[in-house]
Amino acid sequence: MLQLPMAPRATDIALNELELVYAFIYARVGNRADAEDLTQLVAMKAIPRLREGAPASAIRGYLFATARSVLGGFWSTRLGLSEAELHEDLALAVPQEPPSEERADTVQRILAQLSDNYRRVLELRFLHGYSLKEVAAEMNSTVGAVKVMQLRALRAAAKVKET
Amino acid sequence: MNKPENRVDKIVADLLRGRRLRLRGGDAEEKAAITAAARLAAARQGPPRMNPAFRKRLESALESAPNGPWLTRRAALVAGLGLAAGAVTGGLVGRALEPAHPATLGPAARVGGAVVNPRNGRWIDVAAISDLVEGQGKRVAAGGVGAYLFRRGDSVRAVSSICSDLPCELSWSGSGGVLNCSCHPASFTPEGKSTNEKYPLPALNPVQVRVTAAGRVEVLGTA
Repeated sequence: MLQLPMAPRATDIALNELELVYAFIYARVGNRADAEDLTQLVAMKAIPRLREGAPASAIRGYLFATARSVLGGFWSTRLGLSEAELHEDLALAVPQEPPSEERADTVQRILAQLSDNYRRVLELRFLHGYSLKEVAAEMNSTVGAVKVMQLRALRAAAKVKET
Repeated sequence: MNKPENRVDKIVADLLRGRRLRLRGGDAEEKAAITAAARLAAARQGPPRMNPAFRKRLESALESAPNGPWLTRRAALVAGLGLAAGAVTGGLVGRALEPAHPATLGPAARVGGAVVNPRNGRWIDVAAISDLVEGQGKRVAAGGVGAYLFRRGDSVRAVSSICSDLPCELSWSGSGGVLNCSCHPASFTPEGKSTNEKYPLPALNPVQVRVTAAGRVEVLGTA
């Protein structure tokens, strides 16, 4: 079947939508290389829809449904999860109705619901980029104790429901 | 290094250095902590934008992508999407259960899915044939192989419970008599054929099934 290449304008619209998809995926995998691979995969799967010249709103819905699924596959493969566990993980990794743009304060709201120590260790480590040693010095603790606290704080953060 | 706090800190340290997530099977125990760490690592830099070089690559990929109604999983692999495509191909089914792909990609690849042929597969008892109702799909699991069984008289056929387009679990709709994908508007007949005429998806992968003399249904799955 012969199809014309995508018109330049359609490509621009697609790229703008894919910016949102990239942000959505990046916010969940936390690194550029994986986010780029997964965004490209979403784009490749969406090409027929994009070529059709569907309205941006319809394209967005399809792109995000695809992104959710691709993310599910990513976590499933990387963690070696079974089918049943993947469902749980999908719920964990991607909300039912993804916003088209991530709210910047989501993480702050999650942190705000943690105990003081848990919030502090995650703020220092992730938001301020402290090493374990620096966190330990700041909190008058040891590296070993900070590592354990970091793990418990992450487990607690995962339980906080996003609203 | 076997303690969970050490392993999770290694993953955190990689994320904070901007590296890929390098995970292994045992990490599933801490999946909640790991996914939370990925989200926190992402939040460090405010709203992310695509790197201009990546945007350019994506643009040229969009404009030069192969034609066809859908990019098949095999085409994604051929296109060099590497691990990301592997995530979809393996997906729920798992790499060991990846269907044997046809050697060449042609129309036939989209007409009939390849039979699920697990490495080191073994026959797993999943049901009694008397449990199956004609005209109704029954979801079973043979180790890592998920399948829907359909009875016709004394014989049973089975198709994969995973959508052929996205790595998502299908659900049986008794009223519609179809298998619906949980991730996008796609459905399949009990024979595994896509019901969408406008965007015909690849057929579901058939799953190997047999009925024993004692009336038990066995599916070729994994231990």
